Amino acid sequence: MLYHETIRIPQERVGVLVGRNGRVKRRIEQLTNTNLDIDSEGTVTITNPEDTENPVLAWKARNIVRAIARGFSPKRALYLIDDDAQLIIISLKDIVGSSPSQIKRVAGRIIGERGRTRRVIEEITETKISVYGKTVSIIGNIPGLDFARKAIDMLIQGSPHSTVYTRLESMRREMNRMQAELWEESPE
Amino acid sequence: MSKKEERDKWAIAHIYASYNDSIIHITDITGAETIARYSGGMMVKADRNESSPHAAMQAAFQAAREAKDKGVYGIHIRVRAPGGHGPKTPGPGAQAAIRALSRAGLRIGIIDEVTPIPHDGTRKPGGRRGRRV
Repeated sequence: MLYHETIRIPQERVGVLVGRNGRVKRRIEQLTNTNLDIDSEGTVTITNPEDTENPVLAWKARNIVRAIARGFSPKRALYLIDDDAQLIIISLKDIVGSSPSQIKRVAGRIIGERGRTRRVIEEITETKISVYGKTVSIIGNIPGLDFARKAIDMLIQGSPHSTVYTRLESMRREMNRMQAELWEESPE
Repeated sequence: MSKKEERDKWAIAHIYASYNDSIIHITDITGAETIARYSGGMMVKADRNESSPHAAMQAAFQAAREAKDKGVYGIHIRVRAPGGHGPKTPGPGAQAAIRALSRAGLRIGIIDEVTPIPHDGTRKPGGRRGRRV
């Protein structure tokens, strides 16, 4: 069945999406069995050939393109090919308002000194985070994704970093417990 | 019902995936007549698991089984998130539900995203000073 979708991406991310000699574009097309049509102004059209056996793949192609548009490197965006991985895009403009200096301040809080906060969240919740322009994007699996989102929400609301770190520690313990429960419940 | 008719029977699966629940609602092609409706909350005991991919998958399986019993051959999918002034990306259940539907042996037609996007709608809750915890 035909699937057809147009996404706009920032102009400076076009080069990343295409890659050297079109390498990234070709790889996404191969992995998801789609056709990407990219023009230099940042309009990407994703089309799906008629005879595809897995319709979820086109959906994934869309997410991968959006992830690259939101500042992820192609290598990190391609983690979305995994069935359980998901992409969350948080718009800072919606939460902190449109003042550029406020957006910059909140983005800085999420990144931390030399990227420390971002790295701590990424490591504890096993996710990938990209702060780009007015958005914060997270790639990861459930439950880590939810925890990363909660931590970022706390930082946006203004909690001190130390509080967020301690909260992350307890989240990590809960994550481990949930994983252990999962193994007990489903023996297959 | 003749055999040819049966092979052509298409339906629409409306998947509503929020952060609190996922609802899979299969209707006929007009959307007026319900064929099957299941939600994540019907599958799990704990409230916090209602939106989990696992619950969505089970709900989708149940819905697919009921639809197939009623002679549905293929489905078009419409995914939506809460939309409006709420989150505009589908929750964790959406992908799992689509995958479960295709794995249950139904032909998948067109996948659409139908999240309602406001052209400036109602005001977000929280008031001028934001949400105070």
